[in-house]
Amino acid sequence: MPRIRIYQEDHIPSPMQKVWQAFADNPFALMGLWAVCCLLTLAIFGPWIAPFSPEQQDPSALLLPPSWDASGTVEHFLGTDDLGRDIFSRLLHGAHLTFGMALAIVLASLLVGFVIGSISGMMKGLKSSILSHLLDALLSIPSLLLAILVVAVMGPGLDNVFWAVGIALTPQFVRAIHQAVHEELQKDYVTAARLDGANSIQVFWYVIMPNVWETVIIQTTLAISAAILDIAALGFLNLGAQAPSPEWGAMVSQGLDSLLTAPWTVTIPGVAILCSVLAINLVGDGLRSALSPIRN
Amino acid sequence: MGRYLLRRLNLFLATSLALVTVLFITTSYFPVSKPFALSGIATPTTEQLAQIEADYQLNGNQLQQFIAYAQTRLSGDLGLSVTSQRPVLEELTQALPASFELAIVSGIIAVLFGVPLGVLASLSKNKITQHSIMAITLTGYSIPVFWLGLTLSLWFGVELGWLPVSGRINLLYEIEPVSGFMLIDTLLSDSAYRISAFKDAVFHIILPAITLAVLPFTVVVRITRAAMLNIMELPFIKAAEARGLHTGTIVLRHALPNALIPVLKNMGLMLGTFASYAMIVEVIFSRQGVGSWLVAGIYQRDYTVIQGGVLGVALIIIFFSILIEVLHNAYNPLSRKEIYAAN
Amino acid sequence: MPLLDIRNLTIELDTPHGRVKALERVSLMINPGELHGLVGESGSGRTLLARAILGVPGHNWTITADRMMWDGQNLMDMSPKQRRNLMGSEIAVIFQDPMGSLDPAITVGSQLIEAMPQDKTISFWKRNSARKAIAQKWLHKVGIKNTEEVMSSYAWELSAGECQKVMIAMAIANQPRLLIADEPTDSMELSTQAQIFRLLSKLNQLHSVSILLISHELETLSGWCDQLTVLYCGQVMESGPTAEVLEQPYHPYTKALLDNMPDFSSGLAHKSVMQTLPGSSPALQHLPIGCRLGPRCPQAQKRCVSKPSLCHQKDRYFACHFPYNSEPCNDDPTT
Repeated sequence: MPRIRIYQEDHIPSPMQKVWQAFADNPFALMGLWAVCCLLTLAIFGPWIAPFSPEQQDPSALLLPPSWDASGTVEHFLGTDDLGRDIFSRLLHGAHLTFGMALAIVLASLLVGFVIGSISGMMKGLKSSILSHLLDALLSIPSLLLAILVVAVMGPGLDNVFWAVGIALTPQFVRAIHQAVHEELQKDYVTAARLDGANSIQVFWYVIMPNVWETVIIQTTLAISAAILDIAALGFLNLGAQAPSPEWGAMVSQGLDSLLTAPWTVTIPGVAILCSVLAINLVGDGLRSALSPIRN
Repeated sequence: MGRYLLRRLNLFLATSLALVTVLFITTSYFPVSKPFALSGIATPTTEQLAQIEADYQLNGNQLQQFIAYAQTRLSGDLGLSVTSQRPVLEELTQALPASFELAIVSGIIAVLFGVPLGVLASLSKNKITQHSIMAITLTGYSIPVFWLGLTLSLWFGVELGWLPVSGRINLLYEIEPVSGFMLIDTLLSDSAYRISAFKDAVFHIILPAITLAVLPFTVVVRITRAAMLNIMELPFIKAAEARGLHTGTIVLRHALPNALIPVLKNMGLMLGTFASYAMIVEVIFSRQGVGSWLVAGIYQRDYTVIQGGVLGVALIIIFFSILIEVLHNAYNPLSRKEIYAAN
Repeated sequence: MPLLDIRNLTIELDTPHGRVKALERVSLMINPGELHGLVGESGSGRTLLARAILGVPGHNWTITADRMMWDGQNLMDMSPKQRRNLMGSEIAVIFQDPMGSLDPAITVGSQLIEAMPQDKTISFWKRNSARKAIAQKWLHKVGIKNTEEVMSSYAWELSAGECQKVMIAMAIANQPRLLIADEPTDSMELSTQAQIFRLLSKLNQLHSVSILLISHELETLSGWCDQLTVLYCGQVMESGPTAEVLEQPYHPYTKALLDNMPDFSSGLAHKSVMQTLPGSSPALQHLPIGCRLGPRCPQAQKRCVSKPSLCHQKDRYFACHFPYNSEPCNDDPTT
């Protein structure tokens, strides 16, 4: 028997539902989310989907334009580069490198930054200020300079990009989490919890954390887009992924030689970077505006 | 206020020390012999070697070495460049003005166009205008700068042939460096072609400056818009409206000065990324400057240039970010209140 | 002729729960030189009413009224620009958060000067000092002694009382005919409150400015106002001369408000129950139909599900089917 509703009851959605609702109301953000999902799939399954191996050279099809051009072929959907390598396959393999690498770097630096940030945020006085202020200053050192230092020590290569970009991103997480924790710590409900007898760990985990994770999420999306751009920039400068690698930035730099005769060798990987960063920024933007009414 | 300035100075010194420490540790890991990495002299004679060992206390313990290292570096001795065998400090001071010139021009472009557009975006009731401004800024924020530079130079430099794509000025002009800023030097020079040289320098800076300005421009637009939207809801704006002031007066006199405060703050935060982008832009447009000099240094494994360049650039950026913070606090009456309360 | 005459003003808000009548058929009449009190709980629509009079509506408002006359001109017919001009010259307002109502980035003095009318007769090189002198004169008038110091300081350097005095100085600098004071003494100490009220009533007497004083405290209003209007949940409950309303409330809500005031003159019995109405005022999306006091009213009967219209007896107005001490109104169309 269906329940009879006598009173006009309001269904009050949980915070998570509210966030999702606000997020889904924004078509651009939703579009970005789908694009990010696609990217994730490609980053994982890309190598199996790709029709060619990234290093397979086809001497009969050098600098073939993309398929929508009159002289292009469907076989090489996005054309080929100056060595006859299929750009589409290289892009798919590169998604694994660029996007997957960015995710790995962000996860690692999130972990480190979270630990340092929450410890320094919970601490008071000189120790906290040393940690936060020093990192504040480190934050202002350009990631490219750090990358140059890392490359000087370890030589160029994709593995070293991990360290260079990771070191550059960690202070951002530390700073964001430190500030969020520190701000929450000043509020009265934390004092109330303390008066109830909660110790520092309980205060941190049960009282402060639920109010900080939004900051963490937003910072993470920002960091992923920054990481992709940094990896690609290092690849472009030949400081990251090296020549035959299908990393997107490196692909742009390899296409430079034939920029004038075959601009697609530069344009297509560039558009790939642009689209993936844009998708992540759309999601981040949507999340930020969905979370902002809750945060205020 | 005095105490506050002292604390900021303290922070600057502490960070510089931390930076020197990091560089000292990194130097010991460079895959070359220590005297070479420190001085830049590849095959030193016996006297030179003795001199280097004395300068850097290479026979002492780590602490002595560190103190000696900090002393020599902070006294301005950055060693000799491995490739050119000229003092690194000299090369650095020659490269800096060009980078500053580029950064200043693109900063001006970003603020000049970004602030009005941000205000416009915040005031516009039209959904389409709002969405398109947001879409443009988000795209600008996501665009990889090296690719943007290449695309712009391909279009405007090669296909349309409107603007030059490399260098700071046509090599035919001989300009005596006075301030190091090409735009000023061309005007200062007493040659007969100085106006045409100035025009040429302006043409040379347009593409790189626009490429570099995209990131700060988008950030300025977004922050201005968000701040304006916030401020227009505050009671003092409502009060000004109720007092019968014109909307223009309210926006220009009351809302905008308050909205520019967070813009200034975010500019300080953005400085690091901005510098990275500036270096890449210099490489793409092959302009002389710290960025292209440093990148060339890393290609040639010029360890002294790397150390000196990283130290110099990082110190400058730390200095400017602290300066912006101080300015932000000096300009912002509200944060003065906090300082006032803290002391 | 009344200075401000509002008849059956309705404000509807578009909320996520649909359209809500935040103010329903509110009538208000203010005569020249009158100090009119508007009392109501928070959420009863006092500020909405003030903003509707001022003409600074929110973006999701729909305003309808039978009549909104300002000194013989119809406010509903005016363009926003005319409204804005009227606001600057004839109607002034002070808000409940004086510190937030002042721009934090500009000194108080320059804001005051900005609010003053431009005097075109003074030659422009003397204008600055002249304006400064006038500003100081106004600050003196509202009881600020160290005018130089106050003018060169920022809003956050002053106390709330001083800020409110500056706001009043700004409001009266244009010599308005109506001053709307929206909870001018919210969160201030009692002595500062008294200062502000004394200042307002002095302005009312000396400059014959009509004042609409909005508050949630009946006891403070009753001491200063000539006329009183009681608002509950966006409906006018009762309106009339303060002395008469206090002496003999006709509406159950007014009586309940008066009963809420503890009478300290005759010693209260220990642990005696304080008089309050049952329940609490409803949220916007759960407004009852008819008389909105209905569910809480001690006098409520079946008829209260239809909204009583405002009825008029001498200079008293009230909206109730079952008023105290009076025969029910005959011009009630719902009976």
